[in-house]
Amino acid sequence: MRKAIVIIGIFITFLITYFLQANFFSWFTIAGIKPNLFIILGLFISLFLGVKIGIAYNLFLGLFLDMILGKNLGTYAIMLTVIAILGSYFDKNFSKDSRLTIMLMVMASTLIFEVGSYILSMMILNINVEVLYFIKILVIEIIYNAIITIIIYPGVQIVGYKIEDIFKGQKILTRYF
Amino acid sequence: MYNKKKKGIMGIIITIIVLIIIVTISNIKINNLSYAQGVANFFVMPIQNGLTYLKNWISGNNTFFTNINNLKEENEKLKQENSDLQKSLRELEIIKSENTTLKEYVNLKDKYTEYTTVPAYVINRDISNYNDTITINVGTKDGVEVNMPVISEKGLVGHIISVTSTTAKVQTIVDTSSSISCILTSSRDSIIARGTLEGDTLLKATFIPTEATIMQGDTIETSGLGGIYPKGILVGTINKVITTKNITDRYAIIDTAVNFAKIETVLVITK
Repeated sequence: MRKAIVIIGIFITFLITYFLQANFFSWFTIAGIKPNLFIILGLFISLFLGVKIGIAYNLFLGLFLDMILGKNLGTYAIMLTVIAILGSYFDKNFSKDSRLTIMLMVMASTLIFEVGSYILSMMILNINVEVLYFIKILVIEIIYNAIITIIIYPGVQIVGYKIEDIFKGQKILTRYF
Repeated sequence: MYNKKKKGIMGIIITIIVLIIIVTISNIKINNLSYAQGVANFFVMPIQNGLTYLKNWISGNNTFFTNINNLKEENEKLKQENSDLQKSLRELEIIKSENTTLKEYVNLKDKYTEYTTVPAYVINRDISNYNDTITINVGTKDGVEVNMPVISEKGLVGHIISVTSTTAKVQTIVDTSSSISCILTSSRDSIIARGTLEGDTLLKATFIPTEATIMQGDTIETSGLGGIYPKGILVGTINKVITTKNITDRYAIIDTAVNFAKIETVLVITK
C-alpha cells in the first residue's frame, strides 16, 4: 500500500516537473538555455528506489515524454533507462550524503543523457551536427542542473531516505555493515 | 548540529540568489539598461526633487502650503477618477487582445486565399534545448494529416510530423533536423535552408551555387521542391554571408520571418 502511494506520488512529481519545465523554465533560462529536470528526477528515482523500479519507472516516464514531445519514439525512453542504470551504479559506489557527490552525479548524468540523445538523434533523424554550439548549450545545461540540485537536494534527501526505507527496507544495512 | 543546519539553509538561499542573478544577467540585452537607469533615478531623484523644491521656495514659487484642504478633496476625486479609468482600461485591454487575435486570423486567411487552411493555436512548445517542435490544437478531426505545411501571417512555420484526433505536432523550420529547399526571391538561385542550434530564429543557408550573387537583406522563399512545402512562402531574409576559402563551402545565416518564441496562431494548409 505504502509502495503504491509512493509510485503515485512520484508520478504526480513527474507531472509537476513537466509543467515547471514547460512553463517556468521556458523563460527562467541562463542565456536562453533551459535545465533538464527529467534527468534529475530520473536519477533520484533510481538512487532511492533501486535499480529495478528505477529502470521500470524511467522507461515509463521516457515513453510518456516521447509521446508528448518526441520526434520519434524511444530517445527519452532509452536515455532515461540509461540514467536509471547509471543511478544504481552511483548508489553502489558513492555516498548519497554528500551534496558535492550528488552534484557530480547529476552533472555526469546530464552529460551522458544529452550526448546520448544527440548521437541517437544524429543516427535516427539525420540532424545537422554542430559540435561547438552543442558543447556550449551542454556546458550551461550541466551547470544549471548542478545549481538546481544544490537547491533541492536537502528536501529530496529527507523524502528519498524515507522512500528508500519503504522500498529497500533492511537491505540497505548490508551495505554499511 | 543547529549551526550546520543553519549553514545549509543559508547555502540554499545564497545559491537561489546567485541563480536568479545569473539568469537575469545572462538574459539582459545591452540596449535594455532602463533597470540601471531606474536604480540610479531611485537614489538621485528624491534628493533632486527636494533641491528643486528648495530652489523654487527661495525664488518665491512655493505653493505647497496653499489651501491644503482643497488639495485633499481634489486628491480624493482624482483617486476615484483614476480607479474608474483603470477599470475601463482593463476592459479595453481585453477587447484589444481579442481584436488582435481575430485580425491575425483574418489577415492569415486573406493572405493565403489560394490554399484551403485550418487555423490553430500553439498550445505547447518543446522543453528541450536541442529540438524546436510545437504542438497545435487541431488534429485528424479537423482534417489535419502528417506532412501538411504550417504557416503564419509572417511566413513559413514548419510541417506536421505527428497527429492525434485533437492535436498535432509541428516540426518547425528552425529544428536541427529540418532541411528545406528554398530560392532567393531576386535571383531565383536555389539553396538549402537548415535548422541550427545557434538560435531560435536563425537558419543556415547551404549549397549556394558558386555563380549565385547573395547579399544581406535578400529574401528567401520556398522553392516548391521536396513535396511538403508549396512554392513561394516567405522563409526569411539573409542576415550575413560567410565566405570561405573554397567558394563551394560558403554559407549564409537567414533570419526567419517568423518569431518562433512569440508565435501563437498558425494555419495548417490542408489543400
